[in-house]
Amino acid sequence: MAELAVGRERKPGSGFSQGLRRFAENRAALAGLIVLLLIALMGFIGPLVYPVNPFAIVATPMAPPGDGAPLGADYLGRDVLAGILAGARVSLFIGISATFCTAIIGTVTGSIAGYYGGKADTILMRITEFFQVLPPLLLSMVLVTLFSPSVLTVILSIGLVNWIGTARIVRAEFLRIKGEGYVLAERAMGAKNGRIIFRVILPSALPSLIVVTTLQIGIAILFAAALSFLGLTDPNVMTWGLMIGQSRPFIWQTWWAVTFPGIAIFMTVLSVSLIGDGLNEALNPRLRPR
Amino acid sequence: MNRGDGTTRRTLLKQVGLAAGGAVLAGMAPAEFAFAAPKRGGTLKIIHSKIVNLNPAIQSGIATMIPGAQIFAGLVEYDAHWKPHPYLATAWEEAKDGLSYTFHLRKDATFHDGKPVTATDVGFSLETVKHNHPFGIAMFGGVDRVETADAHTAVIRLKHPVPSLLISTSSVLLPIIPKHIFGTGPIRTNPANLKPVGSGPFKFKAYNAAEYLILERNPHFFREGRPHLDELLFKFVTGTTSAMIAMMRGDMHYYPYAAQLQDIAVMAKQKTLQVSQKGYEAIGPLNWLAFNVRHPPLSDVRVRQAIAYAINKEFILKKLFLGLARDATGPIAPSGPFYYKNVDRYPHDLATAEKLLDAAGYKRKSGGARFALTLDWNPEAGNPQAFLPAQYLKAQLPKIGIDIMLRASPDFPTWARRIANWDFELTMDEVFNYPDPVIGVARSYISSNIKKGVIWSNTQGFSDPRVDKLFAEAGEEINFKKRYALYAKVQTLLAEELPVYWLNEIPYSTVYHRGLANVPLTIWGAMGPFDQVYWQKAA
Repeated sequence: MAELAVGRERKPGSGFSQGLRRFAENRAALAGLIVLLLIALMGFIGPLVYPVNPFAIVATPMAPPGDGAPLGADYLGRDVLAGILAGARVSLFIGISATFCTAIIGTVTGSIAGYYGGKADTILMRITEFFQVLPPLLLSMVLVTLFSPSVLTVILSIGLVNWIGTARIVRAEFLRIKGEGYVLAERAMGAKNGRIIFRVILPSALPSLIVVTTLQIGIAILFAAALSFLGLTDPNVMTWGLMIGQSRPFIWQTWWAVTFPGIAIFMTVLSVSLIGDGLNEALNPRLRPR
Repeated sequence: MNRGDGTTRRTLLKQVGLAAGGAVLAGMAPAEFAFAAPKRGGTLKIIHSKIVNLNPAIQSGIATMIPGAQIFAGLVEYDAHWKPHPYLATAWEEAKDGLSYTFHLRKDATFHDGKPVTATDVGFSLETVKHNHPFGIAMFGGVDRVETADAHTAVIRLKHPVPSLLISTSSVLLPIIPKHIFGTGPIRTNPANLKPVGSGPFKFKAYNAAEYLILERNPHFFREGRPHLDELLFKFVTGTTSAMIAMMRGDMHYYPYAAQLQDIAVMAKQKTLQVSQKGYEAIGPLNWLAFNVRHPPLSDVRVRQAIAYAINKEFILKKLFLGLARDATGPIAPSGPFYYKNVDRYPHDLATAEKLLDAAGYKRKSGGARFALTLDWNPEAGNPQAFLPAQYLKAQLPKIGIDIMLRASPDFPTWARRIANWDFELTMDEVFNYPDPVIGVARSYISSNIKKGVIWSNTQGFSDPRVDKLFAEAGEEINFKKRYALYAKVQTLLAEELPVYWLNEIPYSTVYHRGLANVPLTIWGAMGPFDQVYWQKAA
């Protein structure tokens, strides 16, 4: 019973509220969170407040900011602000969905490799290394090309090429945690592998997983923008990368059609990175002030 | 200079801010206006795409035809005014009944291996092209046989008059290939296809599939004193931006078939570079919106006309193509000799478009839309002609209640497979006229060329016996005026029926170093021989 009590005391989650407090004290992270929330709000409420079809010709082609469109019009006369608002929703959706795929694949691979070790670890790590040596953007481009450009293929292609980092971190956490006393205690009490993995070790590895997953959102958004820029996306769905890619030939005539979506990508990725860094500082015991 | 050229050039000058207009005109002098005392020597570095075959007798396409025109000579050579001149043939006669052509060959012409060029080689070349080239049947299907009256006289006997025959003997369409080299074994696998022997001004020196092709001066070229250049280096450059940078740095000297208008505008500002839109008349490149007319609603001509009325061509020409592209009004390019301009036009008029759609029975539904169509485009890299209008149509056609779903193809083969197998509703397409309507125009409209699986056939599925008859008659009419009248009728008819809606003539440009003289700006442009080109001022 004493061992069990120790195990309960050390179970994860107890540091979470402290972590959140530490996160709230981090001004940069907080600023990132506010900006990201604003972007999300812009994406979801923006089209209601500013109901302009991003594909419609509503202004004079190449109109500068303020001349019929708040942020100007592109080479066709499409409203740049409407594009940014529509793109916010899609970019965040792709970023979060692709990261979800990344987290699932990375967590399953890392936890099995780390927990079981031996042959399972060897095989899974060789597979991980195989993906690691492939250029991720190139692989993503190939996948989208093979399965036709669409939002779904973009999400899956990003998820399939970016899970390596997550898998390695989860594996490392499992290797570390599986030797801890409370895990040994659970095993000694006859807990099955599934319970130990999902109910005991994984919650302990959650802080690291949250940090790496948060940072992955920024990477996924950048990947999606790069693919869209290259034309590897659904051309019927407005994204920031698509806006930049389409207006690139006219950059000297309509700098605003490229710059504003670029700023949107920059601000989103920056805010996600700040949040990720803040979570890392708040949840990583090695970075806690002593 | 015709009206279209003048307009285009003025706009070009305006767009790129060129001050030295006179210098532009001087640099655009066609090759036949030779400068005095050409200088010998030097290398011309040409931006090119990868080559899979160097034998234009069996392979079409820019990649093969440009170097092919340097390696192989043809019977005749055309100038900038559609006028034929002697090349391997010193003279030729057409029979009064139009059923035979007699070509008298030069007696001093030899292949690069020293063997003489004979009438036998002419016959062999024609048969090879007829049976192996993509346009072989269109060009030479009417040829019955080639007789060799003597070693240097070839008589082409025809089954019926073939008015396009003479221009089909240009070196890129009928390269004279040596029978003793290409006549052994199956021609498609002949190793000489990538190490060719011809009789043109330059001969094969080296080839690296991934990087370059080098041709060197043919010292025994039958035109004495030519060519002036020592070498031609065809460098395989990927990406239009790389090509532009290479030209601006002076690493490369000659960039034909440049199509990225924004890049061209940047290059035209360079003091060392010259830009010309001449040299593409024999290609007649058209950019159009094709309708699959097999199924409703596009089977109704009123719907096709409504779409045409909804398109603001002026916007496409002036804004999307920076004023550098010419309007295309029908199936024959404005730069072609059979172009007829007095056909039905479709000025931008949304109200008329709406009326036509209402009359066709496609009323607006509660949401405002009448119906939706998918739109494809050729995704080939560096291709603004297709992508920009596709974007425009997606934004524009909802104004008349037609929703457009863009369907991206990840690569050219995917797009070609979809279109060739009729799996499309609308598609942007680029098709070349080539120098005669028999070769490049009729194929897109005649019902006998509705061939599933064949790209750039009559993929629209358009069928009209009147059109078939007119093309057939014009294809055999040897009187130019009568032939022109027939093509005028067919252009009128097609402009009413609209199996495709022609947007513009593709504004290809040639960018070249100002130090070069006699750059070929004939109707064939870069597909003509470079034997007169020289460096008047080193790069």
